[in-house]
Amino acid sequence: MSCALDERDFRRCCRLLLRRSKQLRDGWSWEPVQGSEEGYLRKTAVRSVFLDPEGSGSDSEPRASGPSGPGQQEEEEEAADTDRRVIEDEDEDEDEGVCGVSAGSSQVLQYEYHILHSCSYAAPVLYFRAFTQGGSVRISAKKRQEAPKILPADEGRSLSLEAMWSSVHPNYRLRLQSSPLNTISLQEHPLLGQPFFMLHPCRTEEVMRPVLQAAHEQHRPVNYVLSWLSAVGPVVGLDVPLKYSTLLSPAASPGSSSDTD
Amino acid sequence: MADDKDVLRDVWFGRIPSCFTLNQDEVTEREAEPYYLLLPRVSYLTLVTDKVKKHFHKAMRAEDVEEMWFEYEGTPLKWHNPIGVLFDLHASSSVLPWSITVHFKNFPDRDLLHCPSSSVIEAHFMSGIKEADALKHKSHVVNDMQKKDHKQLWMGLQNDKFDQFWAINRKLMEYSSEDGGFRYIPFRIYQTTSDRPFIQKLFRPTSPEGSAHTLGDLLKEMCPTALPPDGEPKRYQVVIHGIEPLLETPLQWLSEHLSHPDNFLHICVIPVPSD
Repeated sequence: MSCALDERDFRRCCRLLLRRSKQLRDGWSWEPVQGSEEGYLRKTAVRSVFLDPEGSGSDSEPRASGPSGPGQQEEEEEAADTDRRVIEDEDEDEDEGVCGVSAGSSQVLQYEYHILHSCSYAAPVLYFRAFTQGGSVRISAKKRQEAPKILPADEGRSLSLEAMWSSVHPNYRLRLQSSPLNTISLQEHPLLGQPFFMLHPCRTEEVMRPVLQAAHEQHRPVNYVLSWLSAVGPVVGLDVPLKYSTLLSPAASPGSSSDTD
Repeated sequence: MADDKDVLRDVWFGRIPSCFTLNQDEVTEREAEPYYLLLPRVSYLTLVTDKVKKHFHKAMRAEDVEEMWFEYEGTPLKWHNPIGVLFDLHASSSVLPWSITVHFKNFPDRDLLHCPSSSVIEAHFMSGIKEADALKHKSHVVNDMQKKDHKQLWMGLQNDKFDQFWAINRKLMEYSSEDGGFRYIPFRIYQTTSDRPFIQKLFRPTSPEGSAHTLGDLLKEMCPTALPPDGEPKRYQVVIHGIEPLLETPLQWLSEHLSHPDNFLHICVIPVPSD
């Protein structure tokens, strides 16, 4: 049986997910691409995250209070003095510390998650980015000289790659970092053209195979996108409440539509 | 065919004469002269500009230097696109040498990806190769290769070694005779007039009846505005590696011979220059 998810099935899975999300007030929306059926799922969430650049992880369960849903603000600890960078780097050219925080601090971030369909891998792909909350983090002197840009009112500094890694739970971090193509990297968003972190999709089919196989054998319908999201989402702080699994309508199973090859 | 192999060489060794000038607002300790360089069309800006970096660093204090980035006439240049694509898309109608402005501060992280090391470029390049093979061969060929073969592709590009690169890349260009071509053609169409960074969708090299799809067929399906309406003069040029291939050219042939090292056909649709 095929573990490929074509564009039509992807959209069908998204519609079902959206319906459930509305019932659960989980905040997902569908963003269409102008003038076509194409589009992606989108959700924003505020996360209070413990940035642990050392990655020791011994007592640092990320104190993530979980996505609190759009529009909800959280009480956060004041960010520590932000004039220093997270990682001092010998390479003078690096400027990873766009979001400058001192090591081991708690930070409130505005996350934005997108789920797109990759036609190359016939799988869903997760893109995300995060910003500090505007005003809650002091901007270092260097950045103040930046030419004024028109930014949406609630956005602050974007999360650097280093800071992103330090917000991923150490248990996931090791496995992701050791396998370069099964990992998180900074990529150009294929529809918006802006930098986003992306969870690489080339292993998705592998990951989904046992899930789809089991469901197929038990004659259970499976929502590919939902199952996939529940597996990869938590890695980047995106929780999928169990209530999603009690879908009332039959979900799309891949392989039912034609994959003629 | 001897001719076809020549095409591969011509594509690989394509160069764009460029002139790098330091942005006026950078703080310098001494005068920074422009730096001239022949840029390989098939490579990436951050891979071939170490000399540019060193040259301008000499004129600046270490504390005034952050990540280097490039801009052409106000547009930040996306290093993750091949150099030839950037030129064809943004500067093909301008006089040579291509005049690029170098920056060392105010990195536009809403527009550009950071590029802290060559391993980031390698990861990006290999990611392109893997994706292209997913389209061409359901990833079978690239996954059957050993790690050292993957490394050889990257080293070939990094060190400008045509033979080293193609010794492995030829495997990615094979297909069985009963298929008549790749499963799908890896391509991206770029147009500055669009909000979308590029168009990339599934497209087969042959029709269900077995006839070969052409460049024109691809455009008709993916970017119809690129084609001139009947009887009217053309408004757009369709450019690959700085040339306009005939629209009748079979897509499979283009994919085998005019792809970039990442195995993608990068196609630029640009307005016809108004003289």
